[in-house]
Amino acid sequence: MSIVLEGLSKRFAGRAVVENVRLEIADGELFVLLGASGSGKSTILRMISGLASCDGGTIQLMGQDVTDLAPQDRGVGFVFQNYSIFQHMTAAENIAFGLRIRGVSRRERRKKSEELLDLVGLGGLGDRYAKELSGGQQQRVALARALAYEPKVLLLDEPFGALDVKIRTQLRRSFREIQKRLGVTTVLVTHDQEEAFEIADRIGVVERGRLIEVGRPEELYSKPGSLFAATFLGAGTVLVGRSREGRAEIGPLALEIPPNMPHREGEPVRVLIRPEQVELSEQAVPDQPALGRGRVVESSFAGALRRVRLRVPRLPRTRQVSPSLPYGEEGLLIEAALPASQQIPEEAWVTLKGWSILQQPSPSLLVADPLTGVRPPVEPARPVAAALGASIVVLGVAEGPEPAESLRERLKGEFESVVSEIRVRAGHPTEQLREEQAENFYDLIVVGATGGQAIRNTPVRRFIREASTPLLFNPAREEFRRVLICTAVGEPGKSDVRVGGWLAGRLGARVTLLHISRDSSAPPRWIRAHLDQGIATLSAFDVEAEARVRQAPSALEGILMEARHGDYDLVVVGVHGPRARTVTGRDDVTLQILDSSNRPVLVVPEDSG
Amino acid sequence: MNARRKSRGGHSGRGSSLFPVSVLLLVLLPLLLMPLAAVFVFALKGGPLAFWDAVRSPEAQFALRFSLLIAFGTTLVNAVLGTFAAYVLAKHRFWGDRALGVVVNLPVAIPTVVVGTSLLLLWGPIGLLGKMLVPLGLQPMFRPLGVLLAHLFVTFPYMLGAVKPVLDELETTYEEAAYTIGASRWTTFRLVLLPALRGGLITGALLTFAHSLGEFGATVMVSGNLRLKTQTAPLYIFAQFEAGDIAHANAIAAVLALLSFTIFFFLFRFASRAERQEAG
Repeated sequence: MSIVLEGLSKRFAGRAVVENVRLEIADGELFVLLGASGSGKSTILRMISGLASCDGGTIQLMGQDVTDLAPQDRGVGFVFQNYSIFQHMTAAENIAFGLRIRGVSRRERRKKSEELLDLVGLGGLGDRYAKELSGGQQQRVALARALAYEPKVLLLDEPFGALDVKIRTQLRRSFREIQKRLGVTTVLVTHDQEEAFEIADRIGVVERGRLIEVGRPEELYSKPGSLFAATFLGAGTVLVGRSREGRAEIGPLALEIPPNMPHREGEPVRVLIRPEQVELSEQAVPDQPALGRGRVVESSFAGALRRVRLRVPRLPRTRQVSPSLPYGEEGLLIEAALPASQQIPEEAWVTLKGWSILQQPSPSLLVADPLTGVRPPVEPARPVAAALGASIVVLGVAEGPEPAESLRERLKGEFESVVSEIRVRAGHPTEQLREEQAENFYDLIVVGATGGQAIRNTPVRRFIREASTPLLFNPAREEFRRVLICTAVGEPGKSDVRVGGWLAGRLGARVTLLHISRDSSAPPRWIRAHLDQGIATLSAFDVEAEARVRQAPSALEGILMEARHGDYDLVVVGVHGPRARTVTGRDDVTLQILDSSNRPVLVVPEDSG
Repeated sequence: MNARRKSRGGHSGRGSSLFPVSVLLLVLLPLLLMPLAAVFVFALKGGPLAFWDAVRSPEAQFALRFSLLIAFGTTLVNAVLGTFAAYVLAKHRFWGDRALGVVVNLPVAIPTVVVGTSLLLLWGPIGLLGKMLVPLGLQPMFRPLGVLLAHLFVTFPYMLGAVKPVLDELETTYEEAAYTIGASRWTTFRLVLLPALRGGLITGALLTFAHSLGEFGATVMVSGNLRLKTQTAPLYIFAQFEAGDIAHANAIAAVLALLSFTIFFFLFRFASRAERQEAG
């Protein structure tokens, strides 16, 4: 193995940007780290080179542990997006720089730089300065410079990112050829999935500082495991159905689940359908599973192919996660790709030539105590977790490193058998909870403290306002049968419907969608429309739902009245975010509900879900 | 070249620019151009021989040489110190870095006489540190060293101001490229950063030199204005004027002005060449 990364981690200003990355790269392999900007992929590369330090884990190059070595001593070649050719040196001098500082004789330097110039296709241009070379030529010089002293591994950070399309493809191709000829182990970072597909031996998908999935390009494209890899690596539709006797039920279809993607009976299954796996035809094709008859809603020309989006009627017990549906959309939107020459019908049967099953999604719940940090409400959270089929992560926060150790021991003793992970941090409870929320993905944070206790604590109040993950208060209920979603018209009313719907769907609960009106006249049409869209969104989560308009002098009174009246097991409210007007929360309905209700309350931030 | 033509072409014609141009000239004439001309007119009034004699007088010769020496010394020390300061301020983030960035530029804002006074209050015979040096027989004030200290203080921001922006603009990837290739910090500075800084270094050095050559306020305080010992050219001119020897004063003034013109000429040429290079 040329490169071995073990548990590599890095934090910036208290935030984890790279977390627990494990990777082995074989000799001569061209490995591509693929991720969106800010995903931490460049940081991983810089850590391998030594330009960034590690906060945890080890790096081995050619069997040697280099974790604590300076970049000078690691023997890596690095190519930057901006070329970084030394301006006052000629191309040849740039290439020979590494040999010059190693005291190699002038004659040998000359010979080597000529060889390398030929290798990168710049023979005869050695006397040119950077400004006399085009961007593509400069990057070729940079590549030759990085190869000159025969590095153990070659690292490239978005090397083609600054070039225009035509040069980029040319350079990619010749780079790939050079890499194969020299057989030098290479790690290349890019955000461009096409580029990754074209040159990589293997691809590692990076998201939020984690290596989510690793595989050969074809494998990752046609059989991705995670939803992120599936949607990041190409277009396509992802539908969620249910697992039944080894098959995924998507409406009337029962698609086979391969044995390497085990799913628990009755649990959600995600099915990925790439655009080219969709066939459109006048008549339903026998022997091919059909999603239904669809209408073309969008069609765009893309060279040899035409991308088409079709709306098919919603299928029972089926939900769509990608492409994400606009609020109020009642059908399913299916992506298809057709030869550009083919006539696009207005309506057609949508049948599947192929599909793949993604790994079983497992929701994850964070259980934390924002007041004292040391009493996470694990017991009250367990019924919810069980109903959701979710794993529990417990967060304990202690004042300093030493109390943190003893807290870890205590939590381990109490909960080790019932939770999947115990995390302990040192610092202020809400500060650390905020950090944890920023660094990891949780579907839900369970905070046990009763709402009233919580909102009298200023840091907790601020945390509620600024949260990015839904927060569940007072969770202690054995069963959740009725869910009340209090919707406000407009933006804040959308994510609470989505998140509430998702939760109700998983809990198997009925939903009442509530609107409070201050006067007795019939609600205006746009409120009706909003509620109708809400019901449509809920039915996409396979949830039974009704809308209700209640008249009350204030939103708070109306909501409390309805909650009492209908004896709901869960009240879902939106939070208006950090823009809320006062700090005391006197006019904040969300905080007031938390204060005056002892039912479970789910607080949904504006942009979650 | 093209850009210049274009910007001129933007005006509505030659005729309309005549008025503002002549107004500008009329204002600048008594403000800048005529005083400069007057120096040369008066310097050569007694004929070239009298001018030559005035320049050749031992005191004038000392003052000119001393000024040049101090200017060279100041430039040399501040080139190193200013570049180092620029490097540290541009490449390192530390507690108080912003404040330090302001402090090192302070000398531009402080009246030079105040600088002279503060130096006396620190290093002078009754100064905070000077007091301790007296028993050792050391006394920097009223000595060439005192003049050098004053000039270093007053001209410190010029080098920094010319070098730091270049360093700020230079992406760290150049250094990082050198590191990964195997170059140490020092090698990287010598072979990668320093050549990139050449333009800033030359500009900063010329500015420092020119300012040192003309420094008056701080020098007059710390030098004691001792002829043939610490008298710089500007001090000499002032002393001659006060003594009523206008011919001597003018002659040296003319020489100083010429020197400054020469420096300015190089500065200007260098700046425009750098600009052209960048554009190319």
